[in-house]
Amino acid sequence: MTDLLEVRNISKYYSYKNGWLTPQRVCALEPISFSVKRGETIAIMGETGSGKSTIAKLISGAEVPSSGEIFLNGELLDPNNHQQRCREIRMIFQDSLRSLNPQLTIGKQLLESLLFNTKWSAAEQQEHVYVTLQKVGLLPDHFDFYPHMLSSGQQQRVCIARAIILEPQIIVADEAFAALDPSIRAQIINLILDLQEDMGISFIFASHSPEIVKHVADKILIMHRGKMIEFDSTQALLTNPKQQLTKMLLQSEQLNKALKHTTTQE
Amino acid sequence: MSNILDIRNLTIELETSAGTVKVLDKLSLQLAEGEIHTLVGESGSGKSLLAKAIMGFINPRWKITADRLWWRHYDLLALNPVQRRMITGRDMAMIFQNPGSYLDPNTKLGNQLRETIPQSELKGIYLRRKANRTVRAERLLHRVGIKDAEKVMNSYPHQLSEGVAQKVSIAMAIAHNPKLLIADEPTTAMEPNTRNQIYRLLAKLSASQGMSILMITQDLTSVIPESQRMSLVYCGQLMETGPTEKIMTEPFHPYTDAMLQMSFFNKELVPKTRLPTLTGAIPTLQHMPIGCRLGPRCPKSRRACIHQPRLSKVKQHQFACHFPLIEVETHD
Repeated sequence: MTDLLEVRNISKYYSYKNGWLTPQRVCALEPISFSVKRGETIAIMGETGSGKSTIAKLISGAEVPSSGEIFLNGELLDPNNHQQRCREIRMIFQDSLRSLNPQLTIGKQLLESLLFNTKWSAAEQQEHVYVTLQKVGLLPDHFDFYPHMLSSGQQQRVCIARAIILEPQIIVADEAFAALDPSIRAQIINLILDLQEDMGISFIFASHSPEIVKHVADKILIMHRGKMIEFDSTQALLTNPKQQLTKMLLQSEQLNKALKHTTTQE
Repeated sequence: MSNILDIRNLTIELETSAGTVKVLDKLSLQLAEGEIHTLVGESGSGKSLLAKAIMGFINPRWKITADRLWWRHYDLLALNPVQRRMITGRDMAMIFQNPGSYLDPNTKLGNQLRETIPQSELKGIYLRRKANRTVRAERLLHRVGIKDAEKVMNSYPHQLSEGVAQKVSIAMAIAHNPKLLIADEPTTAMEPNTRNQIYRLLAKLSASQGMSILMITQDLTSVIPESQRMSLVYCGQLMETGPTEKIMTEPFHPYTDAMLQMSFFNKELVPKTRLPTLTGAIPTLQHMPIGCRLGPRCPKSRRACIHQPRLSKVKQHQFACHFPLIEVETHD
């Protein structure tokens, strides 16, 4: 079976002018390669400034890589072909309220992506938006709501609806769970797991939280200063981490060590 | 051990378009000297309001009533604003989330820090005092674990990382040796490593100086082992309070249990399975349910839940639920 997504030697440099005629280059991401199978979940972990977000942006096409290629189903993805990219690879952001347009209703925002990427009639598009809203646990009534009228959990659901509305093959999320309340966060994680099962989507996400990563990810990619220092299955990294940093990042919060917790059964 | 902060049935009412809403509903909290108390609540639970009520950052439109709001032997509600400010300024301090955004962006951190050192603690004449102030500021930075004090004092808040900025704000908070430090989500959106550093620092300060800390967090995963007691608040109502270890291991309240499960404390949880969660969303201020506010989301709710349960007490462990997870004989 070929891999769904293959990233080959992709890197990103930013250049800026430093004084007179001396362009400086800052390396955000050194060349890395990895591949993602269909329906697989990959977590990217690392400290701030380690290049987590850069990877997410490069895969989703928000930034053009300085070198290297990305293949989807063995086919080269052109960095400038936005239509193909946004149909197959979608992104979810951390701050749901800020990533939604406050001036458009939820329905209109969801319709927009259909408008540009499908040749359906208006009625079909509307119907599809209703179906998608229901898939993420919202009601068709939410079509006419504005983002500020929803709670943070519902806003994040709208973001997920926007990501899955074109039935993509890959969803990239950058810290999508960090800003949510625990009960809402659990709901969103469940939703993503459900959608993944139903639609066979591959899911790539960056996260700080070792608990979520352990629960959701099949494979973990550890970044350090723009370099990939480890990439292996969750189980392998948990039992046998090769790097000190991996151990540190995957270590659960202090309390887990201090308390031998057993949840009560009813 | 005596309680230095004693709050009984604190209620804060707000005027909204839908009438008066109790944002905090009969909340009780006791804090002993040198103790770390963790207050856990999701957004909209009124945990920041409680902090503000203790500190006296009060909006005149709020209606605050309490059976007791005592700081040591002062009744905070009976004091006039001037006296209250004096006591708050002398004994309490607070740190907030996003240190980068609440430090003054136009002033160097050294100047901001020097400003917080009280005049009364400096001796000598004018120039000597000025020099002493700088020495003390440096010493404060050393105490919070900043090695390169000079560099930090000469930089603006945006030039520092979040962790360092939070350490500086802790230094500012402990400048006058407060008895109580309120930390309002000090580490939200920080990465684990920085977060642990901040927690370790707070625990150390509490242990070495006998400072009480009221730690406000959103998430059970950021409850530190040094915290002796904790309380869970939901929508302004106290759900459960007691020793940290007891609550973590033998919760009485369904809300605590749900929070524990959602915070991945269940070791037997198989990866990729659905997480247990509370249904529905946190109610908005205008649509608070009557009785126990967890009611509509609670897995164990029954008809009796439309009346607010009273606090039941099992040893030091208190909870407000009609149908606790562990059957107990209630004495009242």
